[in-house]
Amino acid sequence: MSRFLFVVPPLTGHVNPTASVGGELLARGHDVAWVGHPGTLAPLLPDDARIFPAIDDVVEADIRAKRERWLALRGMAVLKFFWEEFLIPLGHAMVPGVSDAVALFGPDVVVADQQALAGPLVARNAGLPWVTSASTSAELVNPLRTMPKVDAWVRDLLHDFAGGDIRFSDRLVLVYSSAALVGEEFGDEVAFVGPALAHRVERVEFPWERLTGQRRVLVSLGTLNGPAGERFLSQALEAVAGLDLQVVMVAEPRPAPPNVLMLPSVPQLALMPHLDAVVTHGGHNTVCEALAHGLPLVVAPIRDDQPTVAAQVVAAGAGVRLTYSRARAADIRSALESVLDEPEYTAAAELVRESFLAAGGAAAAADRLEKVVAG
Amino acid sequence: MDEVLQQVAKLITEVVGADFLLGVEITRDTTFSDDLGLESIEFVALADKLNAHYGVDLVAFLADMDIDEIMAMSVGRLVDHITARV
Repeated sequence: MSRFLFVVPPLTGHVNPTASVGGELLARGHDVAWVGHPGTLAPLLPDDARIFPAIDDVVEADIRAKRERWLALRGMAVLKFFWEEFLIPLGHAMVPGVSDAVALFGPDVVVADQQALAGPLVARNAGLPWVTSASTSAELVNPLRTMPKVDAWVRDLLHDFAGGDIRFSDRLVLVYSSAALVGEEFGDEVAFVGPALAHRVERVEFPWERLTGQRRVLVSLGTLNGPAGERFLSQALEAVAGLDLQVVMVAEPRPAPPNVLMLPSVPQLALMPHLDAVVTHGGHNTVCEALAHGLPLVVAPIRDDQPTVAAQVVAAGAGVRLTYSRARAADIRSALESVLDEPEYTAAAELVRESFLAAGGAAAAADRLEKVVAG
Repeated sequence: MDEVLQQVAKLITEVVGADFLLGVEITRDTTFSDDLGLESIEFVALADKLNAHYGVDLVAFLADMDIDEIMAMSVGRLVDHITARV
């Protein structure tokens, strides 16, 4: 049996795939641990999961406050802030905790989320093999390739931090998507394992008895959205008023039409089998969870990898894209009616679902990780 | 020069939608990042329009810039680029 250490940032979407893959490794009898922010990790992992601290509550609160400021930025300022104020400082902050975890746990392999830069740095210094958990497929195709000077600036930041470009392991990169959806070919180290959904832990309650109607739609902008999110949600409420469907909207309480069930959080994965379509900002997890259930999408990407993910959905024919900051109620309604009423969207989502099933999920990821230990 | 500025402002308005520019006058000092908040899909649409109208490659124009230049990129700078090229 082997020992696997997952290094993760304090972000739900980045922890979730590792919860699944780690759960699969545990089920196979391996020793598994996580290092990151215990308060973020505990609700997403099994009760007996071994968790090492690398970020305390003060640092985590500081990161959240920064992300609030970051949400107000637009254009290239988003990228600058992301690297200079978030990723690199987070990397530095996590190094001591990750070093301690490596010393105490003694992993055979370090599995680092692509936004946990401390993972590769510490593993390399300890002479341990490290692999990448790519929580989004969008950066496999370098989005900065058309802006060489910006790309060089990112590489310089990484060189200063770790002496090299540590974004992706050259041993193994776990990608929770399929080659069919991403639509490009990569080297053998890139493993398209599909969404890792087995063994996932969802502790949020849901009023199942309140699900009604023949057709149901989830509207969720993820855990981060800011003021533009408020605008989009109010347009979405107007869009669905009077439509013959039930809407589950993830948002703080507000006045809503009677066919809307408003909840601050939902067990999203458990909800998927009860849905007919999903309206989302294009977070990689939400999009792939929906497609894994053959659900068509309306995607209004906000930033980061979301435009790329939205483009993947459109290219696959599995959804309609909207402009997040400018979409009106009429646009949202018409997009929703298209994906619900035109069967080709669901058929395309079904095809993606089949490509995910063939990719193998958490079991395929665990197979690849076992091979890394075997050398 | 003014003609190019007017045309670029018209193309931006087509991409973004006039509704969303109410009260925002597009001048030489208007920045793409901060003032217009151009989304990536709108940026691609604008690049297509500029290419069709002037044969100017917006992606190639930006390829020479560093991150601070891109952040500060204004309508005036694009207008000067087009004027020099056509």
